[in-house]
Amino acid sequence: LTLVVLSAPHAARPAAQRHGGSRVLLAPVTVTPTKPLTPSHLKGLLWTDVLFRATRELAGVDYRYSNTVYHRTEQTLGFWAFLDDTAGDTDYSAMTEEQVGELYVQYWERRRQPPPAAALRPYADAAEQGWVHPATARVLAMWTGHYRRLGLHDPGLTEHQPPGYTLDEVFDYLAARDLCLDHRDIGGPVYLDLTHAGLPLRQIVAADGQPNYLACALRDLLPLAPDYDEVVLIHDKELDLDYRQLARVLSKAGPVVHRVPVDRVPIGDRVRSARSGDWRGHTVAALVEELAATHPPDVLRLGLRLYFIAVLGPGQRQSYRADLLRKSLRRAERLLSSAPAAPATRLADRLGHHRGDHVHVNPYRLTTGLLARHRHAPAADLLSAVFL
Amino acid sequence: VTAATQELLAEKARERLLAARPGLDLPDSPAELAALLAGRWEPEDAGQDSAGQDGVHSVVAVVRRVDTVSWLRGTCAFAFGMAPERAAAWRRSFTHTVFLAGNPRNLRDRVAFDHVAEDASLAWHGPAEPRASVGLRRLLKVVSGAAPFPVRPPQRVDVPAGAARRRPVHRDLYVATAGVSFGQALVHLNHLVAEAVLDDLVGPGDRLTLRRVPRLPGVPTPFAALRVDADPAHPDRLRAFAGLTQETTDVRPHSS
Repeated sequence: LTLVVLSAPHAARPAAQRHGGSRVLLAPVTVTPTKPLTPSHLKGLLWTDVLFRATRELAGVDYRYSNTVYHRTEQTLGFWAFLDDTAGDTDYSAMTEEQVGELYVQYWERRRQPPPAAALRPYADAAEQGWVHPATARVLAMWTGHYRRLGLHDPGLTEHQPPGYTLDEVFDYLAARDLCLDHRDIGGPVYLDLTHAGLPLRQIVAADGQPNYLACALRDLLPLAPDYDEVVLIHDKELDLDYRQLARVLSKAGPVVHRVPVDRVPIGDRVRSARSGDWRGHTVAALVEELAATHPPDVLRLGLRLYFIAVLGPGQRQSYRADLLRKSLRRAERLLSSAPAAPATRLADRLGHHRGDHVHVNPYRLTTGLLARHRHAPAADLLSAVFL
Repeated sequence: VTAATQELLAEKARERLLAARPGLDLPDSPAELAALLAGRWEPEDAGQDSAGQDGVHSVVAVVRRVDTVSWLRGTCAFAFGMAPERAAAWRRSFTHTVFLAGNPRNLRDRVAFDHVAEDASLAWHGPAEPRASVGLRRLLKVVSGAAPFPVRPPQRVDVPAGAARRRPVHRDLYVATAGVSFGQALVHLNHLVAEAVLDDLVGPGDRLTLRRVPRLPGVPTPFAALRVDADPAHPDRLRAFAGLTQETTDVRPHSS
């Protein structure tokens, strides 16, 4: 496996070097580890995984997913402080994802306004050093298990992966390019300023010093971006405006930046939030438990990818449907049993057809291609390299 | 706070409002005037003035960095360059000004500013009807200067030179700091200084000494102009937030 943990801007990148060709940085939005994984999260993870594993057959690709970076956001730090404030010394090691998720719902029910940055400071400083609250550590340990079972490449969920820049380095980098508006001296926020391109000012740090998700992404990706030919950002529709801004800033550092919006999965025509407990009755843990009882691992892995990528597509027009998921599992079973072992052409050549005008492979085109009736059945090498 | 002081502040507040809109129906008691000023009272609520003019003419001040002295100089230079009919329309709107956080340098291809500070840290647009600044408002955010306005030693403000209509003078410019945020101080100083320019109390080549004091009572020189508003801590009271004295001899030490 080629993932490297990059703690400095000029750290070596074995994946990129080995291929000698184009270098791709894959940076999906992260899931806040304070709740159970849901079908919406699973969709994003499967898209990312297929994109990563297919692209690495053609180019050097680094999959950057650092929880360390985003622990600094208020939604995580505030939850940790709330837990210590209310539950105190508690044993989280035997809790389920749902139990932690219920505490997260409580946190949002009781939260009246953002906790002051000063109150979160001990947690923020500790997170920078690699400390993780035991409730989140427990959630991440369980997610690691789901990743293993689903054949998802683990990008270092539980590893300490600090960002290459401090917040001050981000401000300096942006200010040198007239991209930063800093009103901290008069008690105001710090903004990302892309107004020259017609994009509205976007706050990245609150007046009390608390950075938001976008500020954290800049700390992580600004120092990395110049070393790549292409950066691929995967995000959901709610973050569209922020990711437009992020893409614009990163592209100024050199690489071609592509945004891949992957929308959430409505349940019963509705997209709700984890803060209100949208995961109740629809966790990945329960889904996998149920399907694994009746399907072998390969069928489960391929079937989930067929459903969440090819059947649902990038949009969110279609609600989650258990009957269509089961149909995809049956389809996976047939594809696996009919896969020819000896492919006629190189895997890289076959994957190359599914790129557009970019280096990375389009997961939707690749996966829907498996279902096309007029094509030859996909070979075993493709399935095992990308889908299992 | 004595009744006499409140009466004096009420008189000054009334004078200012009536200078902008003669014939405006205003309450007599300081408490009622304070309530009026403390409410969400906007220039358009004053309705048509005697000349039959309506519509708010606002200035949008785009703020990248605030250095109070250069900001005051820029405010004067901006007001000096204003055509009389635009100045009159702004006055009728009580020199209404919206402060937006933004970098003038990044906006120069999109916005025709009426004045840009020498170091491009500040720029002014207007006075104009709100629709003229829709684009700016969409791109920028209102300045939230929540930090306390800092106390500093007296600072000298050299008002920019220009076509002087009289010999230059020196005045003290007082601003209250107790319980006043940076953003609030900007608002008060902006109204006071802009209107002083329109009234020729401040002219090209003048010199001001900016003096930051907790509150304004006790100033030895009589005020030529006073910025009065409702006291946020006591909504039924008026408070002087900034004042420009009559001519004084510039003898006291400055820091620049």
